[in-house]
Amino acid sequence: MTQTNGDPAARLVDVTKRYRQGALDVFALRGLSLTIEKGEFTALCGPSGSGKTTTLNLIGALDRPTSGTVYLEGKDLAPLSRRQLSELRRDRIGFVFQAYNLMPVLTAYENAEIVLALQGVDAATRRERVLGLLADVGLEGLEDRRPDQLSGGQQQRVAIARAIASDPALVLADEPTANVDSETADHLLDIMEDLNRQRGVTFLFSTHDPRVMERARRVVRIVDGRVDSDETDRSEAG
Amino acid sequence: MFDTRLPSMAWRNLWRHRRRTLLTLSSIAFGTTLALLFTGIGDSNWAKMIDLAARLGGGHVTLQHAEYLETPTLSRSVHDVERIRALALEDPDVVRAVPRISGFLMLATAGQSYGAAFMALDPALEDERSLSLLEALDEGRMFEDSRDPGIILGARLAENLDVELGQKVVYTLTDKHGEIVRAAARVRGIVRTGTPTVDGGLCLLALDALRETLGYGPQEAIQIGLFIGDQRRSDAVAARLGARLSGDVVALPWYENQPDLAAFIAMKVAGAQFMEGVIALLVAAGIFNTLFVSVMERVREFGIMLAIGFSPGRLFGLVMFESLWLGLVGLIAAGIFVAWPYWYLSTKGLDISAQLDMSNSEIAGIAVSTVMHVALYPETVALIAAAAMTATLLSGLYPAWKAGHIVPVESIRLV
Repeated sequence: MTQTNGDPAARLVDVTKRYRQGALDVFALRGLSLTIEKGEFTALCGPSGSGKTTTLNLIGALDRPTSGTVYLEGKDLAPLSRRQLSELRRDRIGFVFQAYNLMPVLTAYENAEIVLALQGVDAATRRERVLGLLADVGLEGLEDRRPDQLSGGQQQRVAIARAIASDPALVLADEPTANVDSETADHLLDIMEDLNRQRGVTFLFSTHDPRVMERARRVVRIVDGRVDSDETDRSEAG
Repeated sequence: MFDTRLPSMAWRNLWRHRRRTLLTLSSIAFGTTLALLFTGIGDSNWAKMIDLAARLGGGHVTLQHAEYLETPTLSRSVHDVERIRALALEDPDVVRAVPRISGFLMLATAGQSYGAAFMALDPALEDERSLSLLEALDEGRMFEDSRDPGIILGARLAENLDVELGQKVVYTLTDKHGEIVRAAARVRGIVRTGTPTVDGGLCLLALDALRETLGYGPQEAIQIGLFIGDQRRSDAVAARLGARLSGDVVALPWYENQPDLAAFIAMKVAGAQFMEGVIALLVAAGIFNTLFVSVMERVREFGIMLAIGFSPGRLFGLVMFESLWLGLVGLIAAGIFVAWPYWYLSTKGLDISAQLDMSNSEIAGIAVSTVMHVALYPETVALIAAAAMTATLLSGLYPAWKAGHIVPVESIRLV
């Protein structure tokens, strides 16, 4: 795992996010501050509408805060242009969404290698790294299958391989187990936990799933756009 | 480096909705086929009419006195004909150069008199390729030589004058000095073209015989008609020769000498282009619809692509490649669609005389053919292909822009 410097993977300082809904202003985040260190395996939990996904979107440079500052590896995201944010997402952030993560016209291999290809990594390096990752997530032999030829769990594993292929600063996973059965969910969590422990990949989940919260070493509970509780080193303790 | 994969992704995206793509391709192919056939039929017809007009009149390019077009009198003549002919024949596009005298005269027999146009020619230099009337020589024969004292009449004119082969007519006209001159000629031949203007109002005389009557010198004529292999080069030939000619002689392309025919063709071409524009617009609307719907169906997918690092420019490029593929495959399909009708119409033609009674139809004195042929020039095919591609790519612009401007945080929520 590449460690670029001593800065945390992500840091939010007094972040507010306000949406306009008709004539009303709706606050998704109200002065939220949070630091995600490198190597963490953290779950954001909380009731629906509490601000979990908004927090992930801000850290993932998909959205901009109304006020406050978001840092990624110590870099303030506010002054970055749309193009720079796009490059930052490509190079430093991995995404795993709830479902339908993959491009349907690409094979499992092509989906997993796409970020590397966007980065301009040469074909031989891409091949070596992607085949290794697909083997790590248990998809050896399924490289040429299209998403519609894979189960939901297999698709999520391809998404995980894609998310970590470029050695990102952190992987943001929004409800990654929401659309799979419990056995598949456990298997996906095994894979992500192994990647975190063995490769040092930083994972930040947004989840309602108790299994994710059980496995997370840090659980941050968000209520009404603020950090309500922050429990760390749970799994080590357990 | 990844951009080399965009065409492949775009290609695969097209076939996600096979039926929709096939329908869109069909519309591109059908529209392009129609444009090719319409244009090919038009180009073939106009080229035939222009060639026929050239072979009825002054050639594809006419060398004549600078004032003859404005004041067409026999005093506005060209001198030194042989030298100018030789100069014209040096041009690589000129295949034939023939001196002629043309104008109007009065024909009279014992009982009748009629006005007619005349053309005096040198039979040694002319054949059916320079004078289409010779194909229509129905009775009698061509002049023996340039001094032949005979006359060849249009069939209707001969009927009106009530003369037959071998009988005498008297023609009267003004000479180069404005004096009235008169000569007698025996009917040597009768032409029957089927075109009322020609059959009823034209006669032919031998060049040197008429020169003598008019008081012209042996190197004097009204015009030198030039014939070229491809009428589209008339402009270039006229320009080249115009620069080399000195004195009072000018080089005029056919459309300056035949403004009525040129105006008719220009009007028809404009009408055809308007129709082709309407077809292009309809096809473009179909392509736009396909691409736009296809983009709107993939909003979430594009959101995820933006999230993982695709730039808006790449998404724009992806949709434009989809548009490009549609255009290219549509053009290939058009090539397949058009092959058989093109082969049939170019080799056999379609005789529409049974459907339309056009036996006496003429435009500016030029007979209209009742057999439809098609002929496409390479540059016309290139132009139509380029227009189809442009229409396809323009149709893709907005959907591509839309794809590049999707907001990932909003689109990813859509499941």
